[in-house]
Amino acid sequence: MDIFIGILEQGMIYAILALGIYITYKILNFPDLTVDGSFPLGAAVTAYLMTNSGDFVSVITLSHNPYIICVYALIAGSIAGLVTGIIHVKFNIRDLISGIITMTGLYSINLRIAGSANVPIFNYDTIFSNSLMGSIFPESLLKYKVIIIATIITLGTKIILDLYLKTKSGFLLRAVGNNQVLVTTLAKDSGNVKILGLVIGNAIVSLSGSILMQQQGFFEITMGTGTMVLGLASVIIGTNVFKKAKFMKATTSVIFGSIIYKAAMSAAMDISFTKASDMKLVTAILFLVILVFSEGKKKKVKADA
Amino acid sequence: MKKIIGLVLILAIGLFTGCGTDTQATDAEVEQFTIGITQFGEHGSLDNCREGFIAGLAEEGFVEGENLTIIYENAQFDNGISNQIAQNFVSKKLDLIGAIATPVAQSSFNAAKAKDIPVVFTAVTDPVAAMLTEGNVTGTSDKLPVEAQLKLIRAMLPEAKNIGILYTTSEVNSLSTIEEYKTLAGNYGFEIVDMGVSATADVPLAVDRILPQIDAMTNLTDNTVVGSLPVILEKANAKAIPIFGSEIEQVKLGCIASEGIEYVELGKQTGRMAAQILRGEKEADDIPYEIIEQSSLYINTSVMEEFGLTLAEEYLDRAMDVAK
Amino acid sequence: MLELKKIYKIFNKGTIHESELFHDFNLKVEKNEFISIIGNNGSGKTSLINIICGSLEIDSGQVSFDGEDITNKKEFQRYSKIGRVYQEPSIGTCTDMTVLENMSLADNKGKSYNLTRGIRKNRIESYKERLRELDLDLENKLNVKVGELSGGQRQAMALLMATMTPIEYLILDEHTAALDPKVADIIMKLTEKIVKEKKLTTIMVTHNINYALEYGNRLIMMNQGEIILDESDFKKNSITAAEILSIY
Repeated sequence: MDIFIGILEQGMIYAILALGIYITYKILNFPDLTVDGSFPLGAAVTAYLMTNSGDFVSVITLSHNPYIICVYALIAGSIAGLVTGIIHVKFNIRDLISGIITMTGLYSINLRIAGSANVPIFNYDTIFSNSLMGSIFPESLLKYKVIIIATIITLGTKIILDLYLKTKSGFLLRAVGNNQVLVTTLAKDSGNVKILGLVIGNAIVSLSGSILMQQQGFFEITMGTGTMVLGLASVIIGTNVFKKAKFMKATTSVIFGSIIYKAAMSAAMDISFTKASDMKLVTAILFLVILVFSEGKKKKVKADA
Repeated sequence: MKKIIGLVLILAIGLFTGCGTDTQATDAEVEQFTIGITQFGEHGSLDNCREGFIAGLAEEGFVEGENLTIIYENAQFDNGISNQIAQNFVSKKLDLIGAIATPVAQSSFNAAKAKDIPVVFTAVTDPVAAMLTEGNVTGTSDKLPVEAQLKLIRAMLPEAKNIGILYTTSEVNSLSTIEEYKTLAGNYGFEIVDMGVSATADVPLAVDRILPQIDAMTNLTDNTVVGSLPVILEKANAKAIPIFGSEIEQVKLGCIASEGIEYVELGKQTGRMAAQILRGEKEADDIPYEIIEQSSLYINTSVMEEFGLTLAEEYLDRAMDVAK
Repeated sequence: MLELKKIYKIFNKGTIHESELFHDFNLKVEKNEFISIIGNNGSGKTSLINIICGSLEIDSGQVSFDGEDITNKKEFQRYSKIGRVYQEPSIGTCTDMTVLENMSLADNKGKSYNLTRGIRKNRIESYKERLRELDLDLENKLNVKVGELSGGQRQAMALLMATMTPIEYLILDEHTAALDPKVADIIMKLTEKIVKEKKLTTIMVTHNINYALEYGNRLIMMNQGEIILDESDFKKNSITAAEILSIY
């Protein structure tokens, strides 16, 4: 039971990350490595605001409130996405390289923001533990507190995203990833649409960094390493496993993908012939198996047609 | 559909094996304990800590395979994995978690809070800064004996003025140790010249920049810098600038000497603390974190000869020569 | 009126592959003209329409719409007056989106793509009406992804989408070349109908000489960046495919 709770907690928090990567990778068709920097960026902003709360400025900007801090993390992430977008679109730098440039710069910026490579926040109010949450949750539900809060945020993000993708602006974003030329013939600057997508994606990734940091209780400069791979795994698992489930929205699949990924990782830790140090190998194999599986099917469909 | 079944199977296997540890048949006569050890990554000093930790427990009667089951996991220096290990340990309702290095100590402490599982850490340089001093947590710090090291350098190099230190900007322990060096250096007539790097690839350039400014160099337990020690030694030797280490392995590699800590000893001390908690004598909360009071002095006589240095009388009886 | 004046274009400038395509190239397209452009590969047909649309930069010269110099206007800005259909059906549509979403997307051209609903419910009937006219059963596939449609269905949609909102110019870039002959005929008939209805000034690049002769009111043949034949209405009607082929 506790193992399930742990998987759901981690799966739900990382699902937000996966939703952000879903926007850039699937919708925008942009392999955005910025996320390795924007994920810890959200955490760094959170660390800074929390440990500096109490002064005059923080009272005015409401940055002592962990929920408002999440908004600041969103804003920070969107700036990171904007930078990558401008580098790519305005300076004509390749997508992968643009992301790498921003990610590399963010490493130093994150260190500056957080003030130190490791910032614990065990004694600060977080979105998971504060007086309000303490009074809302009855004793019996305390065990599920993290899951409930993380699920609310994840579902909230998903619903807003779903609604957005049905707006005119959302249509254009979906179109630009699928067919950039079409957007141009619609008399719209496809570059700006791409930038918008990167802004949205990285804002969500940064939000997830803030939330994960509040849950794990500390900021660590290395926490961004492998973010892209992890999020991508969730997106690919989700969208491929549930490909046939037409009634399910892609965003929902991605959330399940994140939970499945965490479950598989947890299982890998416990299977007798694997250990934690094999987890990256397990990720790689899982990746490959799922991709080969779904690619194989695609080819078959084509051959049939 | 097949895919879903496959994944459910993976899950199920995980769960069953997971439950296996919980429901293990217990010996009626001897009380059985299960602990988890989580280590941040594969690393000589950290491995020594673990070895010492297990030995320390054994000294106190908790012997692996007899009355103690140890689940060991290594986080591969990955934040996500270290969280997942912590979650995994907590969900197994272990009797105690041993955590080696700061990030895993923090993950474990955070995850174990809700279940009130005691966490005993080691190789955490600054438990206060890491906020690992309050709650169901205790352990040992691997804080370097900075003062002893400065004293040693002064004794060996009476003329030296500027001491160089290379560190990695992302290692929080390095920063706090440098601060201590800077505070104490004046007492021994030294000035500290520090230079930060962000990756192994930066080290050679940083060494070239720092060497002209210094009379001697001292190392921290900074992973990136220590990992590049051969490069540093080569460049420093060419310029006849002596390098002091921070633990035995570095002296073996060619540093002149070190007033350092012995990680196996540190681990043993930690293991003994864990034993007290397992026996129920004390709560982790009631045990303040400990440091190793007596530093260990290692010297490399062959390097000393090259530099024409000798060891002062007062050090002779406790110095251990590691020269080949 | 669309005008190209003194256009110069050199490809691979400064390399050993340097080649000049346009040298003092001039073309005037009057309002409501329907020009068919034919010519060999490399004759400059596609480069010509790319220059008009702004997807190919010129070395010097001037492009103007109705007397307004648009040489420095970006490609996407020019498309506010231009509708364009490509050879590849998938370029004119968004394959990951449904028929209805594609129609809505195109229907909003020229307006703001803001945070209001992408699909306007009150427009659905009119989309259906137009799709029904195509007679390709698309009106019953509103919620099918365009990627699952046939090439002909997609190209018909692309044509509808390109001409849905008020535009002045229609650029057809070998838009029947990837279709089988029967579907190509349907698309050509549809093209003619839309051009007449909307009174569009049209430039059609094609490899199909019969279409070039049958449709439109002006015929241009190009070779190595030059116009070698330019016949308007009455004369064009007397030319036969065989005559064209002889100078091809």
